[in-house]
Amino acid sequence: MNGLMRAALWGLATVAVAAAVHIGSVHALPHLIMGGAMHVIEGRVGINHMAFAGRPNAASRGVVRPSPDLLYSTCVFDLSHGPVRVRASAMPDTYWSVSLFDADTNNFYVLNDRQAKTGGVDFTIVPPSQDKQPFGNVVRSPTVRGLVLFRTLIDDEAKLKEIDAARRHASCAPFQAG
Amino acid sequence: MRIALKTLAVLVIGTLLGLGVTWFTVVRGTMGGGVSDGPWKTSLYTGSSTGGAALRASVAVHGLLALNRNETIYYTAATDSGGAPLSGACSYTVEGRDPPTRWWSITAYGTDDYLIPNPAGVYSASMNSVKRADDGGFVVTVAKDAHGDNAIPVGDGPFNLTLRLYNPNPEVAADPAHVALPVIKKEHCA
Repeated sequence: MNGLMRAALWGLATVAVAAAVHIGSVHALPHLIMGGAMHVIEGRVGINHMAFAGRPNAASRGVVRPSPDLLYSTCVFDLSHGPVRVRASAMPDTYWSVSLFDADTNNFYVLNDRQAKTGGVDFTIVPPSQDKQPFGNVVRSPTVRGLVLFRTLIDDEAKLKEIDAARRHASCAPFQAG
Repeated sequence: MRIALKTLAVLVIGTLLGLGVTWFTVVRGTMGGGVSDGPWKTSLYTGSSTGGAALRASVAVHGLLALNRNETIYYTAATDSGGAPLSGACSYTVEGRDPPTRWWSITAYGTDDYLIPNPAGVYSASMNSVKRADDGGFVVTVAKDAHGDNAIPVGDGPFNLTLRLYNPNPEVAADPAHVALPVIKKEHCA
């Protein structure tokens, strides 16, 4: 009986460890996955800088299930030294969207071509603790780091060069007053 | 000494078990919130930022950087309309009409979730590239060495298709299970 009791206790301890590891890993997964994706992009162009990936093909292995009909532009933002401004003066005349993801993969902002009243983009991402006032059109990020992702649709193969050139007007840089 | 060994065993076995459960429930599992429309499946949770830790982990694994369903709806089919798994050993026709959306595309992926290498560099058919019959309907051939108009080559192995609807009409976002989507018909197998 004593031996059985001891075996049961070891078994319970194993289940407790398994439960703790399961819960911990589930909580950690979004951060780890997003961290990995941001690390790949940051390694190519650094932080607070827009990267213009080429058209996805079978060699594109950065993020799963890329669309070959979209051009992706990305910027890993880091607000630890202040807000970051995202601008795109003249986006191409096709479907496009800009979406913001926090460090835990949550999509906290999205704007598409039909919603953009000026035909372009100009907003400033501020950290969770930042006072919104001085920066005009602002979006508050839930986390200090995150990702800006532009999707630009190639709606006409004949216009690929034109669309690609126009989407490169997008920029991402530390906010500077004035 | 024996207690130390047993403790170590509990930690190692417990950790492996815990990671195993995460692997099977989150990584190998589905996102949940799933709805089906013929062979096409989508999740109401894609692009959402709500829910508990398990749902957040699932969204991160299965829909990283995806948009919410007002912006884009992603349907994925891993079987034909008869329910058989899609494989490069067979050829298929994907037949339908333009779904109620601003723009659409059908893209083939390998089981590794990346585009399938092929000499033509063709991975998708879309609203703009597809050739239609006089009545507006289209037929896309999906097969190992498919080529020419309305063709997506998929190589030898198993594959799956994603149908993207960009800026879908409001009724699609409200009820993605009842939309007229293309039929995936198996033609013949090697």
